[in-house]
Amino acid sequence: MRSLRNAREGARALASSKLRTFFMMAGIIAGISGLTVVMAAGRGTEKRVMKRVNAFGTRAIMITAGGGKGFAPPQEGVTTLRPEDAEAIRTQIRGVDVVAPFALGRNMSIKAGSTQVQAMVMAVRPEWHDAWDWHTTDGEPIAADDTATLARVCVLGEMIARDLFGNQSCVGEFVQIGSTRFKVKGVLEHRGPSPQGDEFDSRLVVPLTTGLRRLFNQDHITNIRLKVGDPRQIESIADEVRLLLHARHHITPPREDDFAIFSAADIARMARGISGTLTYLLMALAVLSLLVGGIVLMNILLISVGERKKEIGLRRALGATHGDIFQQFLMESLSVTGLGMIIGSLLGWAISIALDRSGLWPVVVTWEPFGLALVFCLAVGLFFGIQPARQAARLSPVEALR
Amino acid sequence: MIELEAIEKTYDGVAVRTAVLKGVSFRVARGEYVAIMGTSGTGKSTLMNILGCLDRPTAGRYRLDDTDVADLDDDQLSRVRNSKIGFVFQQFHLLDQTSALQNVLLPLIYAEKYPEDARQRAQSALTDMGLADRMTYRPGELSGGQQQRVAIARALITDPALILADEPTGNLDSESGAEVMAIFGRLHRRGRTIVLVTHDRSVAEHSHRIIVLKDGTIAEDSPVAEPRVAEVAPDETRGQEATR
Ligand SMILES: Nc1ncnc2c1ncn2[C@@H]1O[C@H](COP(=O)(O)OP(=O)(O)O)[C@@H](O)[C@H]1O
Ligand SMILES: [Mg+2]
Repeated sequence: MRSLRNAREGARALASSKLRTFFMMAGIIAGISGLTVVMAAGRGTEKRVMKRVNAFGTRAIMITAGGGKGFAPPQEGVTTLRPEDAEAIRTQIRGVDVVAPFALGRNMSIKAGSTQVQAMVMAVRPEWHDAWDWHTTDGEPIAADDTATLARVCVLGEMIARDLFGNQSCVGEFVQIGSTRFKVKGVLEHRGPSPQGDEFDSRLVVPLTTGLRRLFNQDHITNIRLKVGDPRQIESIADEVRLLLHARHHITPPREDDFAIFSAADIARMARGISGTLTYLLMALAVLSLLVGGIVLMNILLISVGERKKEIGLRRALGATHGDIFQQFLMESLSVTGLGMIIGSLLGWAISIALDRSGLWPVVVTWEPFGLALVFCLAVGLFFGIQPARQAARLSPVEALR
Repeated sequence: MIELEAIEKTYDGVAVRTAVLKGVSFRVARGEYVAIMGTSGTGKSTLMNILGCLDRPTAGRYRLDDTDVADLDDDQLSRVRNSKIGFVFQQFHLLDQTSALQNVLLPLIYAEKYPEDARQRAQSALTDMGLADRMTYRPGELSGGQQQRVAIARALITDPALILADEPTGNLDSESGAEVMAIFGRLHRRGRTIVLVTHDRSVAEHSHRIIVLKDGTIAEDSPVAEPRVAEVAPDETRGQEATR
C-alpha cells in the first residue's frame, strides 16, 4: 500500500514536469519502437524468403544452361546443356528421386480462336510433373507416350487457360503455338508466383521431344530440375552434380562454368540478400539507443535528485524513510521506461503496419518484440534508476532542507 | 514531553570543528508554548533539527515522550517525525507543482495507515486556516501568509502533539506574521505543545516561556509574564475550531 503511494508520488512528479519526462523517455521510445520495427521486418523478410523457397521447392535443385550468378532463365544461344547430361545425372548420382530435363521458350505467341497471348512454353518429360509437384486439375498430364510419339499436345497453366478460354473447360480444344496446332490435354493446378516474380500459372507445357523438334528446332535443353530424397543432402548432391558436369563438359577451374546450379539454400540466400545482416545491425542500433536512453534517463534523474533536494528533505522531515524515497525515485525511473515502452511499442507497431501497407517491406508482427520490450524496459529502468534512487535516499534531511 | 540533557552539537568541517551547542538542557511539558531566542548563528536551527529528530546530537540525551531518541533507528525516527511532530519552516517548503490540498495531504502518505477520510481532514484543516477557497491553488498562486497557513495545515494533518516552528514569520510581512501568530495562539489554547524559534523578541513574547540561547548554552529561561495576543482583523479570523 505504502509502495503504491510512493509510486503515485513518483508519477505525480513525472506528470508535473512533462518536458523533462519526455526527454527521459525519448531514447527508450526510439529504442523500443526501433526494436519492434526491426523485429517485425526481420520476420517479414523470413516469411518472404520462405515463400520464395517454397515456390522453388524445398527439395529442388535447378541446373540452368549458361553461367551467371542470378537465378534466371538461361541466356539464349547457350547450347551446352543436353538431355544426355540429365541421363548421366540420373544414372550416376545417388539420392536424386526425379531428374527432369526441360527446355524453355520465352514469349511464344499462343492463339486460340481470335484470342492471342504471349507466354513461356516449357518442353518437358513426364517426370517434370513430379519434379515440380505440379499436377493437372483437369484432363491429363504429359505422358511417356506423348514424348515417344512427338504428340502435339499441351497442358495449360491455370491463368493462360482462363485468358484463352474463359471459364469454360478447354480440354480437347486446340491452341496454336507459333505456327503449330496443339491439342489441349489438361490444365495445371494453381501455383502462384515463381521465385523470379512472374506467374507460374501463365506458362504452358508441351512434350520435350515435340517442343525441341517442332517449336524450338534445337537438340539442347535449357534446364534440368532435380528432386532429391533428403533435403539435408541437397548441398552435397549439388556439389556432385557440379563435378559430374565439369567432367562431362571438360571444364577445369580457370574456365568458367557453362551452367549454373541453384538449390533451395541458394534461393534463400538470394532472397535474404543483405537483409539478415541489416537486421542484426539495426537491432544492435536499437539496443544501443535503449542503452543511451537509459544513460540519459539516469543523468536526468541524477540532476533532478540534485534539483529536488528540498523536496526530498521535506518528505524526509514529514516522515518519509530512506526506503520511501528510494521507492519513489525508482518508480519514477520505472514509470518512465514503462511508459516509454508502451509508447515505443505502439509507435513501432504503427510504423510496422504502415511499412507493410505501403509495400515497402513485408512485415510480420508477433508478440516477441513486445515481450522483449517489457524485459528491456524493466532492466533499463532498474539498472539506471537504482543509482539516482540510492543517491536520493542517502540525502540527510538536514542537508537537503538547507 | 521534551527532556534535553547536556545536548552538544559539533560540526566537523573540512578544516574546522564548529561547536554549536555546548551543553543545552531544558524540559518542555506537554501543552507548553515555548520560544527559543537568540541572535543569528547561535544554533537555534541546529537545536530545532535535534528536537525534530532530523539530526542527532553529538553528545547528551534527548528524550521525547519518555523515549531516548538515541535508541531509535532511522526508520523509527521517520515514524516519530511523522506521527508526533508538525514542522513549520521559515521558507514554507511547499511542493510547487502541487495544489494546497495535495501539499496538506503529503504527511499522510508516510503515515502508518493512510486514513480513509484523508481528504476531508485536509479540507477541514485548510478551512480551519481560512483557506477554504484556495484548496486547488498552487503555492505560486498564494501569498506568503497563505502559503505559511497551508504549511501549518500540513503540520497539523497528522494530529501531532508537538509543533516545531523555525522562524515561521521570518519571510512574512507584519500583517501575515500576526495572522500566523494568532493561529499559534489558537493551537496552544487547544492543547498543542509549541516550540517556536525566532530572533525577534516581539514574536517570542507571544509564547509563555522564553529560552535564550547564547554561545551554545542557555543564557536565560523565563516565563512571559503577560504573553502578547496577536491582533487580527475580524475578517481574517475565518477559522473555526476544528473538531479533533
Ligand atoms: N552542516 C553544518 N556544517 C557546519 N556548520 C554548520 C552546519 N549547520 C550549521 N552550522 C553552523 O552552526 C551555527 C549555527 O547555525 P544555525 O543553527 O543555523 O543558527 P541559527 O538558526 O541560530 O541562525 C552557524 O555558525 C552555522 O554556520
Ligand atoms: Mg536558523
